[in-house]
Amino acid sequence: MIRTSAFTYSPSEHETEKASNSYVMSLVAVMAGLPLPIVNLIATFIFYLGNKRRTFFVRWHCTQALLSQISLLAMNSFGFWWTIGILFYDETISSLYISYIITIFLFNLTELIATIYTAVKTRNGIHVEWWIYGALTNLICKP
Amino acid sequence: MGKVIFQLIIAVAIFFLTWFGLSKADWINTLNVKQTTKTTEEKLGDLFWEIYNKAEREIHRKKIINPVDSLLSKICSENKIDRSTIKLHIVMNSEVNAYTLPNRHLVIFSGLILSCKNEEELCGVLGHEIGHMENDHVMKKLIKEVGLTVLISATAGSSGGGQAIKELAKTVTSTAYDREMEHEADLSSVSYLINAGINPKPFADFLLRLSQETKHLPKQFFWVTTHPDSEERAEGIYEFIKDKKIDSTKVISDNTWESLLNYLEDEE
Repeated sequence: MIRTSAFTYSPSEHETEKASNSYVMSLVAVMAGLPLPIVNLIATFIFYLGNKRRTFFVRWHCTQALLSQISLLAMNSFGFWWTIGILFYDETISSLYISYIITIFLFNLTELIATIYTAVKTRNGIHVEWWIYGALTNLICKP
Repeated sequence: MGKVIFQLIIAVAIFFLTWFGLSKADWINTLNVKQTTKTTEEKLGDLFWEIYNKAEREIHRKKIINPVDSLLSKICSENKIDRSTIKLHIVMNSEVNAYTLPNRHLVIFSGLILSCKNEEELCGVLGHEIGHMENDHVMKKLIKEVGLTVLISATAGSSGGGQAIKELAKTVTSTAYDREMEHEADLSSVSYLINAGINPKPFADFLLRLSQETKHLPKQFFWVTTHPDSEERAEGIYEFIKDKKIDSTKVISDNTWESLLNYLEDEE
């Protein structure tokens, strides 16, 4: 799911800090965003905008952090509105709903662990590519 | 690009397989979900009624209870609603008010019965409150206003629970349902009355009349002041029944109705 690889150049101390911060930002946003999943995406997007003119290493990791939030947003938003439907409308709690909540919890947890791991690694100048997002970022983000 | 699509398909497949696999488990029974909700509603209803019962004088006189019970039973039996699940309470209070508490407690103030000109008007109010019960409006309103966690902790008797329950009790009777819920309860009531062969038009007349009277006496007419847009609601009912063929049968005799009003006046 996660693999470390050599980057095209060796990033400086300042770059690794900025790149690592893009993941830290998504972590903080996860805490602030609960239960509104859109907050994570907005926060990561603002951070992305603020850093899109920086060096390739920083841009690359900001892009990967942003992309990872989009899939979380989709999963969490669906769960959020399903919950609202149950609380305020005629939806009822079902095994399908509970299993969905457990599933998104597991995916969020996986992403959380991956984010912490990546934040630490990139801070040390190690390039980390995620499953899907790494390949997608390679397509979007060019040197 | 092919690599991304391949990885995306694998990830989506993992997501749906996890969801599908987990959904095979009976989470509802494993986590005791329904029972928890039910217990919360039962506890809330009984706690609320306990609070009101201390503050209000409930009427137990058969000559007052029986006619109202006949009307309620008629509406229930003709609409396949289990009458035995509804706890009817008639309270001695001159305010024009009626409300539904969780766990199907239906509270009617003597002032409301006395302000009805005929049994059909009272049936309309009864039907409206049953509509709130059947559509689960009480719990929905409470959850919307205070949240499920607060409700569960209030009933669990945690610290401050007593005060919390009193505040919740105020919420359930002093605040209005939203427009959508009121409309739904009105239409439910009208349908119940039509099914029971009771003319719903007097219910609309009742709403219209009280909405006009509340302009002068706002504090006395709680049922209307906590049920906004009564004129609009009355119009909605007139519109709903406009083209419907409606039977008009009496559930209790005119004498019984008059006696009910007289006994209530005696109680006061």
